[in-house]
Amino acid sequence: MLLRILGKSLARRRGRIAFAVISVVMGAAVITALLAVSMDVEQQVAADFRKYGANLVVVPQSDTIEVGFPGVTFGSVTEQGYIEEEDVWRIMRISWRTNILGFAPFLYSVVRADSETASQDVVLAGTYFDRDVEILDRYSSSDPEAITTGVSVINAWWLSKGKWIDRSDDYRSALVGVNVADKMGLEIGDTFTISFKTHGDGNMTTSEITVVGLVETGGNEDNQVLVNLQLAQDMTNRSGKVHTRQVDALCTGCPVDTFAEEIEGEIDYVEARTVKQLVSAEMSMLGKFEGMMAMVTMVAMAASVLGVTTTMTTSVIERQKEIGLMKSVGAERRKISLLFLSEAAVIGTIGGVLGFVAGVFLARSIGLSVFDTAVSTNILLLPVAIGISVAVAVGASILPVRRAQAVEPAVVLRGE
Amino acid sequence: MSAGIISAQGLTKVYGGGTRALDGVTIDIEEGEWTSIVGPSGSGKTTLLNILSCLDSPTDGEVIIDGTTVTGLRQDDLTVFRKKNIGLIFQQYHMVPYLTALENVMMAQYFHSIVDEEEATDVLRGVGMGHRLQHLPRQLSGGEQQRVCIARALVNEPAILLADEPTGNLDQENGRIVLELIRSLQKEGRTIIMVTHNPEISQLGDRIIEIVDGKVRSDQRTREE
Repeated sequence: MLLRILGKSLARRRGRIAFAVISVVMGAAVITALLAVSMDVEQQVAADFRKYGANLVVVPQSDTIEVGFPGVTFGSVTEQGYIEEEDVWRIMRISWRTNILGFAPFLYSVVRADSETASQDVVLAGTYFDRDVEILDRYSSSDPEAITTGVSVINAWWLSKGKWIDRSDDYRSALVGVNVADKMGLEIGDTFTISFKTHGDGNMTTSEITVVGLVETGGNEDNQVLVNLQLAQDMTNRSGKVHTRQVDALCTGCPVDTFAEEIEGEIDYVEARTVKQLVSAEMSMLGKFEGMMAMVTMVAMAASVLGVTTTMTTSVIERQKEIGLMKSVGAERRKISLLFLSEAAVIGTIGGVLGFVAGVFLARSIGLSVFDTAVSTNILLLPVAIGISVAVAVGASILPVRRAQAVEPAVVLRGE
Repeated sequence: MSAGIISAQGLTKVYGGGTRALDGVTIDIEEGEWTSIVGPSGSGKTTLLNILSCLDSPTDGEVIIDGTTVTGLRQDDLTVFRKKNIGLIFQQYHMVPYLTALENVMMAQYFHSIVDEEEATDVLRGVGMGHRLQHLPRQLSGGEQQRVCIARALVNEPAILLADEPTGNLDQENGRIVLELIRSLQKEGRTIIMVTHNPEISQLGDRIIEIVDGKVRSDQRTREE
């Protein structure tokens, strides 16, 4: 009977109910859109930022020696330090290790490159491309025994043409920065030589390598030749040494500064520097987006509450005699409440479903126009949209329902 | 005559503005009796009916219905008591406009206990409305609406039926039909209390109580025991 009363009551007041539903649709659409954008674009924005490279750079602490007399300083001499390659796995011992997506060590040297058409000095960068690094002393027994990491993991976007070096014992292949390739007339499949003259004894080491891929980053890598770390170490006689390590620890909502401190605590002779500009830009953008989301959501919710409250209050005023009649034939206050709250729930459900549909389109529009990305439809947001809409509609009906409870049948049914 | 089913002692009702609608009214109504309450407009007869039907509470005094002291009960308790014991018939009919005749009767069942469509149909047939079950109130005449309201008042089988000018808005023929219905209900053993302006109608009762200025001016039987 309740459903019959409910259905006929709603059908009779289609216009007013439509107004309330539209109010809820507005709120539900905004919430759906912003949650969809938040879930989808936030990930994509984070991924986009990640593409720009690591956000932590680990370097050895430098011993800086002041030169001069007491009170008079001429300047300083900085001694170049190294990180031991055997310590690279230690980064996986920090408490935030699960947020580390990967890392890559780098050893830089200036070498002479000779191709068929050109000869010039270039920076040789030895690194990991795609390597399983064993974690010798795991932080937790549930941690994996090894991590697959390297440049292809943390900077996949660097490769503009060709392929990555997929074997760590491949000492005959190189990825060449686009500027180097351009100046030296190198293309994929071409072979060229690199030579390094050791300081001191003047010994010359030469390797013949083949271009397997081109790298384009818009940064220093465009002017480098990237090879397996082992090759760079052997050629420059710096076995087991690396200069820096790039760490991809970017995540939303986790403290990158803490990462740095923990890394320094784990490997006591290094400094971990956050790429603050990059991180803060990301955090700032995501933070602003979330702030905007919260604000728009509050406004939309307020509009929904106002719309539903107005409709339900009008409904109670218009139906005072009906309420009085129901009470006179035996309806207790809870049954009157049930009737009106059920109406509100129906309004919320319809509004939630329609709002979800509208929100999906709104999310796509926001995604394309603001973030230049396609936001996918997440069906899990449907129950969320309905739940929030029902809660808003029911919550907004509490005051009108109290008014309905207070209707006195003797007053409203008084004969004229 | 059996024991009194309604006992009102010293009922006083003072409204917010200081208007004294009832002033120490004491009446006892016996089971199965048809009591007509008469009096000029504003005399307090509808206020008395509202209090006896548990729609309103007195400012002072006590009402005992079928052994239960209803004065002092909370609003929801009064509602529960009313739906179990009292049927109401209004001058203005008061039907839910978007429900059919049958649904208006079933609504009373729903708020009372369990909906039984067959039983509701039977009651409507009993008041001569079996052919108008699926009609909306706006499709019914005043007399038909009043008969639906009587069916609604009866469907939960209350012992007491309170009617406030039940024929006030009806033509003579429909008024006659409604009064015959009420008469038949009394014959079934129900206690009837009816407020009316009409002296002829008041004579249909076993007893006439006249209220003037919130007080009982007269209380007389219409026929010898």
